[in-house]
Amino acid sequence: MNPILALTWLLLLPLVASPIIYLAGRTSVRLGATAAPARWLSALALAAAGVPLWFVGKSVLASGPVSLSAGAISMRMDGVGLVVAATVMALTLLVSVFSIPYMRGEEGEEKYYALLVAMAGTMVGLGCAGDLFNLWVWFEAMAVTSFLLVAFYREQRGALEAGVKYLVQSAVGSALVLVGIAIVFAQTGTLDLQQVLATAPRPTPPQLLAAGALFLIGFGVKTALVPLHTWLPDAHSQAPSGVSAMLSGVVIEAGLVAMLRSLGCLAPVGATWGAMLLAFGALNMIVGNLMALRQTQVKRMFAYSSVSHMGYMLIGFGVAVGYGITNGAAGGFFHLLNHALMKGLAFMAAGALLYSLHIARGSHDPLTVEDLNGAGSRYPVTAFALSVAVLALGGLPPLSGFMSKWQIFVAGFETRSLGVELLVIFAAINSVLSLAYYAPLVNRMYRHEPSAVVAAGRRVSFLMGAPLVVLTLLVVVLGFWPGLVDFITHPAAIHLVSIFGGSAALAQF
Amino acid sequence: MPNIETLALLSIGLPWAGALLVWLVQDRKPPLQHALAVIFALAGAAAAIAMIPLKTDVNVLHFPLGSAFGLVTFLPDGLAVFLAVVATTIGSLAVIFSVDYMRGERQLGRYYAYVLFFIGSMVGLVLSSNLLLIFVFWEITALCSYALISFYNDDPKAVSAGIKALIITQVGGIGLLAGALFLYAYQGNYDVPTFLAGAARLPPNVLALMAFGFLIAAAAKSAQFPFQTWLPDAMEAPTPVSALIHAATMVNAGVYLLARFYPAFEAVPNWKLAVVAVGAITALMAAVMAIVSNDLKRVLAYSTVSQLGYMVYAIGTGGIFASQFHLLSHAVFKALLFLSAGAVIHAVHTRDMREMGGLGKQMPLVKVVMIIGGLALAGIPVLNGFWSKELVLEAGHEGGPLWAWLFMLVGAGLTALYTLRFLSMVFYGEPRGGPHVHDAGPAMKIALVPLALGTLTTWLLAGSFGHFLGSALPEGHEVLGTAALLTRIATAPATFVALAVVALGLAAWWQRSKLAGVAHALRGVGKMASQSFGFEALNRGVVRLTVASAESLRTTHNGVLNWNVMAILVGLVVVLAILALGGA
Repeated sequence: MNPILALTWLLLLPLVASPIIYLAGRTSVRLGATAAPARWLSALALAAAGVPLWFVGKSVLASGPVSLSAGAISMRMDGVGLVVAATVMALTLLVSVFSIPYMRGEEGEEKYYALLVAMAGTMVGLGCAGDLFNLWVWFEAMAVTSFLLVAFYREQRGALEAGVKYLVQSAVGSALVLVGIAIVFAQTGTLDLQQVLATAPRPTPPQLLAAGALFLIGFGVKTALVPLHTWLPDAHSQAPSGVSAMLSGVVIEAGLVAMLRSLGCLAPVGATWGAMLLAFGALNMIVGNLMALRQTQVKRMFAYSSVSHMGYMLIGFGVAVGYGITNGAAGGFFHLLNHALMKGLAFMAAGALLYSLHIARGSHDPLTVEDLNGAGSRYPVTAFALSVAVLALGGLPPLSGFMSKWQIFVAGFETRSLGVELLVIFAAINSVLSLAYYAPLVNRMYRHEPSAVVAAGRRVSFLMGAPLVVLTLLVVVLGFWPGLVDFITHPAAIHLVSIFGGSAALAQF
Repeated sequence: MPNIETLALLSIGLPWAGALLVWLVQDRKPPLQHALAVIFALAGAAAAIAMIPLKTDVNVLHFPLGSAFGLVTFLPDGLAVFLAVVATTIGSLAVIFSVDYMRGERQLGRYYAYVLFFIGSMVGLVLSSNLLLIFVFWEITALCSYALISFYNDDPKAVSAGIKALIITQVGGIGLLAGALFLYAYQGNYDVPTFLAGAARLPPNVLALMAFGFLIAAAAKSAQFPFQTWLPDAMEAPTPVSALIHAATMVNAGVYLLARFYPAFEAVPNWKLAVVAVGAITALMAAVMAIVSNDLKRVLAYSTVSQLGYMVYAIGTGGIFASQFHLLSHAVFKALLFLSAGAVIHAVHTRDMREMGGLGKQMPLVKVVMIIGGLALAGIPVLNGFWSKELVLEAGHEGGPLWAWLFMLVGAGLTALYTLRFLSMVFYGEPRGGPHVHDAGPAMKIALVPLALGTLTTWLLAGSFGHFLGSALPEGHEVLGTAALLTRIATAPATFVALAVVALGLAAWWQRSKLAGVAHALRGVGKMASQSFGFEALNRGVVRLTVASAESLRTTHNGVLNWNVMAILVGLVVVLAILALGGA
C-alpha cells in the first residue's frame, strides 16, 4: 500500500468510524436491544486501523517521514508520530475489549465507544501534525473527547466535578497555547513546524521566548507538569477504568509530545528548554510520589503515580533536548510506551476489581486499598496482573519499567554533568520511594483473610481478563528483552534530537 | 558433557523453570509442588557443580540486550563458580528442609516460586560480568527477599519487615546503580573484566565515587553498619528462607561485590580504610547486640551481621582469600544453625529462648548438630569456623590497622560468649517446653546432617580452594597447599591470642553468676544495643519525616478550582521570569 494512502486511511478510519459506531449503537438501543453493535464495531475499527499503521510504519522506518498535505493542512508522520500512533492504537484496542463487560448496560454506552475511537484518532493525528495550528486543533479535539469521557458517569457528583475542573484547566492551557501560536505567526509569518525552525530569527527575540513559555505551560497542563497537574487525580480516578487507562497511558503523553513538537520549532533555545524539562521532571517525581504515598483509594494513588512517571519522561527528554543525548529521548519514548502498558495494566486490573467488587453489585464506592485484602485467592489472574503492573511501575527488574528507567538514567550519566548525575540519583531515590506505596498493595492482595467485598465479589469475565494477560506478558517480555522496541524508539529519538540538534549549550554546566 | 555456557544458563534457568512450574501447578497439589521444588533445586545444584572442572577466566555467551543495555556475558571463574555452588547446594538443602517445615502451609506456590527464582538469580548475580546485569540480578534477589520476608502477609510485623528490608537494600543499591552508570558513561560498556584490568583509565574522582558507591551498596545488602537494622527484622521470614537468603547467600552478595571489585578499587585513597572500618564496627556492634537478644533467630541474625563484618574487614585488609574462606565456612555453619533453629522453633512454636530450655533430651540430633555449628561459630578448633576466622584475624593483623584488629579480637570473644549463651538457653537448664516437643522430621534431618558434616570438614579443602579461586585473588597472594596453610594458621601467634580471648568469652558465660555485677554495670550498653544503637530511631525518624512532608503537601492540593488555575498562571509567570533573567 502506498504510504501516503496508508497515512490517510490511518487518520480517517477512527474519525469516520466514530459517528458510525454511535449511530449503530444508538439505533440498536432505540430498537430495544443492547448497544452491542457499538462494542464490536469499535474493536473492529481499531483493529482494522492496524493495517494502515503497519504500512506507514514500515515506510517511516525504512525511508523516513511520510508527508501528506490537503490544502493548508499538512501532516507528517515521522519516528515520533509512529511511537505515538502505535502506542495509542494498541492500548485503545485493549481498552475497548476490556470495556465490553465493564460498560455493559451503562447509559450512553454507545457514546462511550464512539468517543473512545475518536479520541484514539485525534491522538494519532496529534502525533503527525505538521504545523502549529493543526497541532492545536488535534489537541483540542482530543481534549474535547476526553472531557466527555471523564465526566461519563454524569449522575455522580465526583465525576462531574472532575470533568468540570479538567475542562476549565485544560481550556486555560489551550488558550495559552493559542496565544503562543499567534506570537509565533506574528514573528515568523508561518506556522509550519519545519519552516518556523528554519526561518526563526537568531538570536531568538524575547517574543519567541515568551511563545515558548506559553507552549511549555499551555501544553504542560495536559502533560500534568507540577504545579499544573491538580486536575489529574480527580479526572483519572473518576473516569471509567478503561478511560483512566487511556488518560494516564496515552493522553498525558500526547500532551508531552505536543509540547516537544512545539518547542522543537523554537529549538535554537534548546538549552533552556532542556533545563526546564529537567526541573519540572524533578518536581513531578517528588510531588507525585509523596502525594501517592498518602492515598487510600487505589485509582487516585495510580493517578498521582502517573504524575511522577511523567517526571521520568521529562528527565529523559530534558537530557535529550538540552544535551543532545540520543539515549535520553530513546529512553523517554521507551518509558512512554512502557508507561502506557504498565499504567494501562494497573488501571485495568484495578478496574476489573472495582467492577467485580463494587460496580457489578450496584455500588458507586471507589476501590480502596483495604478492599484489596486477600484478593489473590479469589482473583488470581487479576491480582497477579496488578502485582506485575505495580512492581514494574516501581522499577523492579525483570520487568519493563526498570529497563526504560535505566535507559533514561544512562542518558543522564552520559552527560557527565554533576547536576544531571545528582538528578538521576534523585530519580533513583524516587523510584525506591514509590515502592513504599506499591509494595503494600501486593502484600494486601496475598493475605489469607479476604476483605468483605472480596468475599462477596463477582467473577471477572474473560473479556476483562484477556487484555490483562496480554499486557502482563508484554511487560514481562520487555523486561527481559528491552532491545525489542529499539527499532521504534531509536528512530523517534534520532528525529527528536535532530530537531533540537546543535543545542549542547547546557554541557557547560 | 555440556559446555560451560550451557551449564551457566542451566544453573540459572533450571531453578527459574522450577519456579514457573511450581507456580503454574497451583496450590491444590502441595505434594507435587514440594517434589518439583526439590527436583529443580537439585538440578540447579548439579549444573553448578558440573561447572567446577570447566571454570574459565574469559567471558562467555555475548547475547545482545539492546543499545543502552550491553551484552549478556558470564564470567564463570573460580570465585563465581564457588558462590554459585554455595547458593545452589545450600539452596537445595533449604528447599528439602522446607518440605517438612512448610508442610500444611498455604500459598506454597508463591513460597517455592520465590525461593527458586531467588536461587537462580543469585547464581546469575555471581556469574554475570555485565555490570548492568549484576545490578538486575541484585534487584531481583531484593524482590525475592522482600516477598519471602513478608510471606505471612496477614502478620503486620512481617509485612513491615519486608518493606523495611526492601527500602533499605534498594536505597543502598543506588550506590551500585550509580557505579554501573558511571562505568557505561566513561568506559562505553558494562564489561567487568575490562574495568578490572584498566580501572586506572577512569578519572580518579569517578573511580572514587564508584568505589564508595559500591561500598554503600555492599553494606546495605550485607546488613553492615550503618544499614544493619533490616536483617534482624527479616527473621519474620520462614526459617528456611532465613537460612538460605539471610545467612548463606543473598547477604554474601555484598561481600562478593567487594571481593570482585577489589582489584579496581584498592588504589582509591581511603577506600580500604573505609571497608575495614565498616567491617570492624559492624562485627563488634552486632556481637554486642547478639548478647542481649532473647529471640533465637535474632541472635543468629546479629551473629550473621557480625560474621559478615569479619569478611568485609578481611577484604579491607587485602585478605580476599581469607574473606572467601570464611564465607565458605560461614555459609555452611550458619545455614546449619538456622535450620536447626528452625527445627527447634517448629517443635516449640516460639522464638523466645526464655521459653525454651532443657530441649537437649527431646531433640538429640538437633542438639548435636547445633552444637557443632555453635562450636564452629565460636571458633573452636578443629571446626571450619576456627580455621577461617583465624585466617581472617591473621590477614587483618598483617594488612590492617591495630585498632580494627583489636575490635575483631574482642568480637571473637563476644562471639564465643553469645554462642554458649544461646546453646545453653535452648538445650540445657530447666525444661520449659510442653510435652509434645518432637525431634526434627526426616526431611529436616536430610538437610541438617550434610551441613554438620560440612562444618566438620570443609576446612580440609583450604589449599584446593585457594587454587580454585586463582585469578580472582589479587596479585601477590601466595597460594599455599592445605597442609602448609593449616600449619601456618595453627602456629601463628595471633591464633593463640585469639584462642585465649575465645576462652575468656566462654568462661564469662560459664561464670556469669559471679560476673553479675559487671553485667549490671553494662546494662546501659545492653539497652542501647537492643535499640540497635540508635539506628532504629533513625529509621523511624526518616519514615516520620517522609510521611509528614507528604501530609503537608496535601494542603496545596485543596481542590479549589480558582487556586488550581492560579497555579497555572503562576507557573507561566515563573517560567517567563526564568527566561527573562537567564536569557537564551
